[in-house]
Amino acid sequence: MLKKLTKTLCVATACAVVAMPVLAADGPLRGNLRVVIGSSSTGGDTYQNSSIIAEALAENIGINIKVDATGVTEAYKALGRDKRGNTVMIFHDQAYLGNLYGVKGYADPFESYIIGPTVAINPGNAYLVPKNSPYQTIEDIIQACANDTQIRVAIQPGGVSEIGYTALKNAIKVRYPGKEGNLVAVNTGSQSDKNQLLFDGQADLINGSVQANEQYTRLPEDDQKAMRFVWLTARKETIEQAHEEGMGATTRDDLLQFVSPSASVTFDGDKDFTFDKEFFFLYNKDMDPAIIEQIDASLTEIFEAGEIQETQKKSFFIPNFKPSAEAQTYLKDKRDQYEVIIEALQ
Amino acid sequence: MEILSNLTPMFFALTAFGVMVGIVFGAIPGMTATMALAVCLPMTYGLDLTNGLALLLGLYVGGISGGLVPAILLNIPGTPSSITTTFDGYPMTQKGQGERALKVGISSSLFGGLFSAVILFLFAPTLADVAIKFSYIEKFLIILFALTVIASLSQRLLVGLFSGALGIWFALIGTYDITDGGNGEYRLLPDFLVNYLDSGFSLLPVLIGMFGLGTILQEAENGVREEAVDSVKFQKGAKFSFSIFKGQFVNLFRSSSIGTFVGMLPGVGGSAASVLSYTQAKNFSREPDKLGTGEPEGVIASESANNGLTGGALIPLLSLGIPGDSTTAVLIGAFTLQGIQLGPLFIGENTVTWDVMMVSLVFANLVMFMVMFFAIRHIAKVVMVPKFLLYPGILMMCVVGAYAINYGVMFDVWTLLIFGVFAWLGQKVGLEIAPFIIGFILGGQAEIYFVKSLESFGTLTIFFTKSPIALFLWGLIAVSVAYSVHHTIRAVKRKNGGNGA
Repeated sequence: MLKKLTKTLCVATACAVVAMPVLAADGPLRGNLRVVIGSSSTGGDTYQNSSIIAEALAENIGINIKVDATGVTEAYKALGRDKRGNTVMIFHDQAYLGNLYGVKGYADPFESYIIGPTVAINPGNAYLVPKNSPYQTIEDIIQACANDTQIRVAIQPGGVSEIGYTALKNAIKVRYPGKEGNLVAVNTGSQSDKNQLLFDGQADLINGSVQANEQYTRLPEDDQKAMRFVWLTARKETIEQAHEEGMGATTRDDLLQFVSPSASVTFDGDKDFTFDKEFFFLYNKDMDPAIIEQIDASLTEIFEAGEIQETQKKSFFIPNFKPSAEAQTYLKDKRDQYEVIIEALQ
Repeated sequence: MEILSNLTPMFFALTAFGVMVGIVFGAIPGMTATMALAVCLPMTYGLDLTNGLALLLGLYVGGISGGLVPAILLNIPGTPSSITTTFDGYPMTQKGQGERALKVGISSSLFGGLFSAVILFLFAPTLADVAIKFSYIEKFLIILFALTVIASLSQRLLVGLFSGALGIWFALIGTYDITDGGNGEYRLLPDFLVNYLDSGFSLLPVLIGMFGLGTILQEAENGVREEAVDSVKFQKGAKFSFSIFKGQFVNLFRSSSIGTFVGMLPGVGGSAASVLSYTQAKNFSREPDKLGTGEPEGVIASESANNGLTGGALIPLLSLGIPGDSTTAVLIGAFTLQGIQLGPLFIGENTVTWDVMMVSLVFANLVMFMVMFFAIRHIAKVVMVPKFLLYPGILMMCVVGAYAINYGVMFDVWTLLIFGVFAWLGQKVGLEIAPFIIGFILGGQAEIYFVKSLESFGTLTIFFTKSPIALFLWGLIAVSVAYSVHHTIRAVKRKNGGNGA
């Protein structure tokens, strides 16, 4: 008898646990939500940011959410397959930059998918030189190119890593027409490979990030690994929103020295080029609009509560929630702006 | 002592739990240590950093070690780095020495794991400085050195080299990915296959297809003649005793060192470590002909090297903020999720976390040894399960593993089938599986480092002039190739002499 009762209780509890998320969710989005991301790394900023958002959404809507680091190709395939709305994607500006740079597998996200809300900015996109480099500032780099010195920049081609290189080349073209050829890209892959090129003396400037490279900037100058920031592509207003402590031992004030206008890379001779790496949702083209509204509403509630902003800032993200409609217009404008310089240099 | 306050019963329980789950992941064909960590990573969100790392390090050690079980008992490498364990482990099982082979493998794994943990603890920052001396060129030469194993593994030199080259060719199918610094263009890929093969063939489905499904198809062709259970003696002949390691200390030390060293070079990968140490075990062996026929020496080389990786791959992670292999790349997630920055100053600025990680790593190795060594007698009995029951189970695990490896890609299951059939038919026309797989595993990396070397330095001569390390590696490559050629000529002469007599 006791055995039977225990069995029944166990089964009932199991059923209740399984059913809980389904019952808790009272909007059109029910059951499980799979968040695929455009990165195959679980150690990068896309996974970190997506995990923060997924956890908050799961709690707010009352459903199970799992983040899968599938990489961009498989993420797009998974998104394309699921019209029910149980698979969504979180990615960043690479989604349209890859398309603008003509990288295979990058369809125009504004045509092929629905752009969802923006959620955060990673303000850490940076350019670094060896600590013993003769170039102290980004202006020194521009002047070196103007004086016919070849500057090699290690980047990962076709996206966020390349946009800063393109902007720098554009700035040289605007200020010293014909000299932009002195800035050359060294195409490489991971951050490790970019660092290695700097250690080997095969690059004069590398793309990196505040998060990944800050500790290298605190090494003594005679260390082969020592580096120095010369440029952060983020807007000044974006960095100003970071915690005062900044990252590691580099304070927010320290970081502000490396953004426009202190570190100036002109866009058109008048205003400076800036680039904030923004994370946003992408949806299947045929997804139920009610689900889009539900996610927008849920995120609005989450950001109004204010707790998530602290979590994001603790991880060196800048909160940047914009509901779907606003995000679509905003990101389209942003894409159009960068399209101008990419096309001019291709 | 701040460290003692972190060493709670929960900490040790999580490490032990991680090891046990990791062993299960490693032992299931198609599931890897990387997958175990990726699955459990979200769990660390609710734990503090110390306990999160305890769980993940346990999974790491368990996952790497568990791969030897199917490699030895079923000839299916549980993880890519246990491929060389099959070369001698499975023949030992066929000779009725499955339990002995497993115990040799587990003891070697313990030695490799502890050896690399000690190296990590004592020399991490210094070795990280050595690691950055290895540019694209030196990494390419290490891969090339590992590829020379194809020559010494070949039953017939020319066919083996052809099989290896074919493996490399298959590895190059797909996109030259921009995340590798490539141009994003498709290679060797007809338009109608772009949708399936844009990322190329995945390693794990190819591996378990060729070893797992290929074997099952072969057995199916032969017909399942079920032997009486008691005739399949899984422990006949010599029993395990630690005296087996007598005279193997140099092999253990050399293989653990190779594992640790290759582990600390970001981007070179675990498979290269075990392949390299197996080659060296064969080259230095007094009876090289016997390797590949069921010699404990081969299992020792492979297993001590792939566990040597665990500490080795943590060196660049903790001293440079750069993961040494795909599994430690997941481990980095535990730090980022907790907002902890990794880099060259990590150890100095986080001494407690560093000490706790070392305790966890050593404890995980000890738990792995205790769990596997004493449970193995029961695990080894899997070979006594009738094949008509065993093979469908293995097939199901292979399919599940292949489907799950890239988060649910159906084409990976087709890959499993394609390469299973390919291995079965290929062997009929003389294709050699081991050289093919080694070519497939190392081909992609060889291409990237070769192309990147040329792009960065612009000349072929740089491969010989870049550094003393490059010259040293060329020396090793030359010795390895010369040895294989000499060995082949000697074998042919012996055969001819035998025929003549």
